[in-house]
Amino acid sequence: MTLDPIKPAFDPVTWAIPVFVITIVGEIILGRLGKVKANYEARDTATSLLMGLGSTIAGALLAGSIALVSIWIWENHRLLDIPMTAWWAWLAIFFLEDATYYWFHRIAHERRFWWASHVNHHSSQHYNLATALRQTWTGGVAGTWLLWLPLALIGFPPAMIAIQKGISLVYQYWIHTEAIRRMPRWFEAVFNTPSHHRVHHARNARYLDANYAGILIIWDRMFGTFIPEDEAEPPRYGLVKNLGDFNILRVAFHEWIGIGKDLMSARSPRDVIGYLFGPPGWSPDGSRETSATLKARWRERQAAAEADPAPPMAAE
Amino acid sequence: MNGMVIQLLGSAVAVAAMVALAAWARIPRPTPPLDAEAVRRLLAIDYPDNLLEDIWIAADGAGAIVRSGPRALVLSRLGDSWVTRDIAWEAALAAPIRGGRVRLKLADPSAPRLSLAVSGVNPWPPQGDLELAA
Repeated sequence: MTLDPIKPAFDPVTWAIPVFVITIVGEIILGRLGKVKANYEARDTATSLLMGLGSTIAGALLAGSIALVSIWIWENHRLLDIPMTAWWAWLAIFFLEDATYYWFHRIAHERRFWWASHVNHHSSQHYNLATALRQTWTGGVAGTWLLWLPLALIGFPPAMIAIQKGISLVYQYWIHTEAIRRMPRWFEAVFNTPSHHRVHHARNARYLDANYAGILIIWDRMFGTFIPEDEAEPPRYGLVKNLGDFNILRVAFHEWIGIGKDLMSARSPRDVIGYLFGPPGWSPDGSRETSATLKARWRERQAAAEADPAPPMAAE
Repeated sequence: MNGMVIQLLGSAVAVAAMVALAAWARIPRPTPPLDAEAVRRLLAIDYPDNLLEDIWIAADGAGAIVRSGPRALVLSRLGDSWVTRDIAWEAALAAPIRGGRVRLKLADPSAPRLSLAVSGVNPWPPQGDLELAA
């Protein structure tokens, strides 16, 4: 058996599109019947789905160029010859691609230049299967695909990388739901789940910058970014500062415009670097909120509440 | 190329169908008109350290402007969710009213403007303490 190392034998995302449609319809109907927890707002749903459609178009426009770079590296500079038909090769790329995804995702949250491309995925105040499809239009321009090039350099064929990236994206679809509360304990320990990913989409200060996993939650556990969902504090979804309307152009580009405006006001190279590559919310005088400052203030409030608990209610 | 166009057209039809289904299902979160308690509760999420002084609630109950020292905290409904921002109180007072709404301009690309309904019995700016639903 041979597999084309350049052209993927199949695209998992394309194959999954009918499943996306059927499960969204199912989630809406079950939500309507009160069988599962699911809230849908029509304009929010339209925004999510149109962002998904636009992402497909934007991705197609740049996919060829990005693939060419990967192919060029693999054909001219690969360190190993990795056969696509070997089981161990698929096992290896499963772990390596997932680790790559973790770091891509972490950078996409913690550095503003890449956050500008990823922010749209978090801009819905809903958390349902349609939210999963609210994907970036500017990922190609932001260059996050560069992080996957080392896999081609190691020797994984470009088609293999593309297939595994697709599998990861499809896996991450089903975890965008409130319909599933918890998976079995062993599954929650190893895999990314709806519960873990609800935390990731939450704007509560305590949950910010956590659970970056793609398929395996083990990376968050290893690198100290895992936060479990606390039943006592349900996630509130969206952005620290939510968008003011449903305009999809605003969803796609607002952070890029914000970066542009900030760069126009920059007074030093430090400002330029900070506005581009500092954490989202960075400002020269520290007057804006970052995840770190929001979390610090939350911790202060928690400590104050513990030190000075409310007086007990009088017995009736 | 033809395959891709067909796929896109099919996706567009599926998007329209799913949005129509979501509208038919009517399963948004409940967002009843605001009262002072709801305003306090919602603003406490984004402004937990702010002292809320005077509360003005929009005529349709879909937003509020609250004085907090030199700042105006703005709460505005978006679909079945809420958006908050803060601007200078003086800027809020000076905001123009057009088409029965007070139009607040914000220096924020993610929400460049918010507008809240006003009425004769609920004018903006508030005419005195009696019209502030504190």
